[in-house]
Amino acid sequence: MSQKLVIVGLSHHTSPLSLRERVAVPTSSLRLEVRDLVQSVGLPEAAIVSTCNRLEVYAGVEQPDQVIGGLHRWMQQRGGPEATSCLYTLQGARATHHAFRVASSLDSMVVGEPQILGQLKEAYNEAKTGGGLGNLLDRCFNHAFSVAKRVRHETKIAEGSVSISSIACDLARKIFGDLNGKRVLLIGAGKMGEGAARYLREEGADLYVVNRNRNRAEELAAKSGGQPRTIEDIGDELALADVAIASTSSRDFLITPEMLRKVIRARRHRPLFLIDIAVPRNVDPRVGSMDNVFLYDIDDLQKVAEENLATRKSEAEKAEEIVTHEVVNFEKWRKSIAVTPIIVGLRHHVRSILEEEYAKTKPKLQLDDEGEQAIERMLDSMVNKVLHSPVSELKASALNGHNVELAQSIRRLFQLPSDDDDPAPDQTDLRNPKT
Amino acid sequence: MWVTFTFSITLACYTLAAGMYAFFLVKGSQRRANIAATSLGGGLFAHVVFVAQQVLVHDRLPTDDIHQALAALSLLVSLLYLVTSRFRPRLRVLGAFIAPMTLLLFLGAAFRGAVPVSDTVRSYLLPVHVGVNILGLVAFAFAFAASAAYILQERQLRSKNLGGVFQRLPSLGVLDQLGLRSVLIGFPLLTVGVVTGTIWAVRHAPNAPVISPSQGFGLLAWLLFAAVLLLRIAAGWQGRKAAIGTMLGFLCTVMVLIGYVLRSTPAGVS
Repeated sequence: MSQKLVIVGLSHHTSPLSLRERVAVPTSSLRLEVRDLVQSVGLPEAAIVSTCNRLEVYAGVEQPDQVIGGLHRWMQQRGGPEATSCLYTLQGARATHHAFRVASSLDSMVVGEPQILGQLKEAYNEAKTGGGLGNLLDRCFNHAFSVAKRVRHETKIAEGSVSISSIACDLARKIFGDLNGKRVLLIGAGKMGEGAARYLREEGADLYVVNRNRNRAEELAAKSGGQPRTIEDIGDELALADVAIASTSSRDFLITPEMLRKVIRARRHRPLFLIDIAVPRNVDPRVGSMDNVFLYDIDDLQKVAEENLATRKSEAEKAEEIVTHEVVNFEKWRKSIAVTPIIVGLRHHVRSILEEEYAKTKPKLQLDDEGEQAIERMLDSMVNKVLHSPVSELKASALNGHNVELAQSIRRLFQLPSDDDDPAPDQTDLRNPKT
Repeated sequence: MWVTFTFSITLACYTLAAGMYAFFLVKGSQRRANIAATSLGGGLFAHVVFVAQQVLVHDRLPTDDIHQALAALSLLVSLLYLVTSRFRPRLRVLGAFIAPMTLLLFLGAAFRGAVPVSDTVRSYLLPVHVGVNILGLVAFAFAFAASAAYILQERQLRSKNLGGVFQRLPSLGVLDQLGLRSVLIGFPLLTVGVVTGTIWAVRHAPNAPVISPSQGFGLLAWLLFAAVLLLRIAAGWQGRKAAIGTMLGFLCTVMVLIGYVLRSTPAGVS
C-alpha cells in the first residue's frame, strides 16, 4: 500500500492572530517537536511548518484515518479548544496541491512574498535532522521547492512591492541607487511614516526624526535608531536630507516651494525624494515640479500598491496552472512507488531462477572473465525483456489506481512474498530504468 | 564579394540587436535580452572580420578616412558595451540606446564611399587626431546612452508611471554617475583631438579664412562638455540639466562626423 500525504493545520485563512501566536513553534524547538510528534502520534514521517501565518503538520502515512485524530489532539494541546474549529485536514492530491501552493506563496497573506520558501526550507531541514523525513516527505518538499522556483521564474508573481513602506523604499532605491549613508528625515510620528523610515534604515540610510514635541522626537528616534531634531531645524535638515517622509497631523503645508527654493543652493542640486503620507497633505504639490525634487503622496503610493497587487493576482492564475500540473506529476510518482516493492520482488525472483540455471551450466562452459561478464549482461537483458510487459502493465495500473488486484495476482502467480515480508529492495534494481 | 557578405551579416545582426534591445526595454523577458546580446556579439564578430578585410585586403587603416574611423568607432562602442554589460548586468538595458547607435555608425561607415585621405594632407598628426577622437567618441556615446536613459527614467518617475520600463532601467543615481564618468574620460581625449586637429588645419590650410562647419561643431561640442563638467564639479549640477548638456555635446560631435561623411564622395560599398 502506498503512503499518502496528510496535512493538518491552521492558517491566517481560518484562525485569528491571537491563536496563531499561541500555537507557533519557535524554530529552535522545531526539531524536538518533530521527534515528539513522530513518537506520540506514531507517524512514519512528519514535518512541522510554523510561520506567523500558519502552523501545519505534514505527515506521510499509509492509513490517514488512523493518525488524523492524533494530529488533531496534538494541535488542540497547543492551541486549546478554540483551535478545533480552525483546523483543516487535507489528504493525498489535495494535500500535495496545498503544499505546492504554500511553497509558491500562493496561500500567503501577501501573495508572492518571498519569505515562505525560506521558512519551508527551515522546516524541511529541522524535520530531516529530527528524523521525521522519509521517502515521501523528502520528495514532496523537494518537489515543492522546485515548483516554487518555477513559479517565481515563469510568472511575475513576486514583482513589485505591495506595501506603502516597501514601495517608498523601492522608489528611493530607484532614485539614489545605493541607500547606504543616505540621509532620511522623518517629519511627524505617523505609523506608516515610521514603517517607511525603518525600511530605509535597514538599507543603510541614516535616520533623523523631527517632531513638534521634542520628547516625542527623542522617543521615536530611540525606538527607530535615529537622531532627534526639533521642528525649528526643518529648513537646515531639508538642506541635508536625501529622503524626507512627512506624516504629521498639521493642517497646513509644512514644505512649500518657497522653503525649498531657499535650501536648493545649499543642496547643490542633489535629488530630494519627498514622501508625503499625511492626510491632509504636508507638502505643497507644486514642489513636485521643481528640478531634482520627486514628490509622491499617499494616493500615488496607494495606486502603485493596487497596480502591483492586480499584477500579482493575474499572475497567480498562471502560477495555479503550474502548481496543478506539478501535482499531477507528483501524484504519478507517488502512485508508481506503491508498486516498486512488487517490481523489485519480481525482478529478484526471475533473476534468481536464471542465476540458478546458469550456475548449473557454468562449470561446463569454462568461460574467461570477459565471457562471464557477457553472460551477466545477457541475464540482465533477459530479466528486462521477460518482465517488460508485466512491469509496464503494473505501472500503468498504479497510475489509474487499479493496481491492488493485479499486484495480488502477480504475487500469487510468481509466489512472491506478501507485503509484510518483502525482500530488502535491491538498489541496482530500483535504479534500473528499463523496467 | 566577401566584404559584401560580412557587411550584410554585420548589418543584419546589428539591426536584430537594436530591435531586440528596444523590445527588451519595453516588454522585458530575459530571453529577448539574451537574443539581443547574442545578435550584438555575432554582429561584432562579423564586424571585426569586415574591418580586418578592409585592413588586410584593401590596406585601409581606421585613421585613413572618416568611413574607416566610423567603422572602428561603431566596433569599439559595441565591444565596450558587451564587456560592460557582462560585468554590470543592470546596465544591460542600455543596449536599447547603444545598439541603434552602433547600427547608425556602421551604416554611416559603409554606405558612403571610402575616399582615402590624399597624401598631401597626410601627417603624423592625423592618426593621433583621429585615434583620440575615436576613443573620446566611444566615451561620449556611453555618456549619451546614460543621459538618454536618465531623461527617460526621470520622466517615468515624474509621471508616476512605474511599469516595466521603469523597473528595467537602472536608478537615476547610477545613470548620472555613468554619464559623469564617461564625460570625464571623453573630455581630455576630445581636448587632445581638438588641439591636434587645429594644428593640423593650420599647417595644411594656413590661408583658410573661416572655420568649417565641422570644426565649428567640434569646438561647440568641446565648449558644451567643458561647461557640463565645470557646472557638475563647481556648482554640483546633476540630473536632468547635466544629462541634456551631455546629450547636446554628443549631438555636436555627431554633426562633426556627418559633416565629414558628407564631404567625401559616394562610391557605394567597396
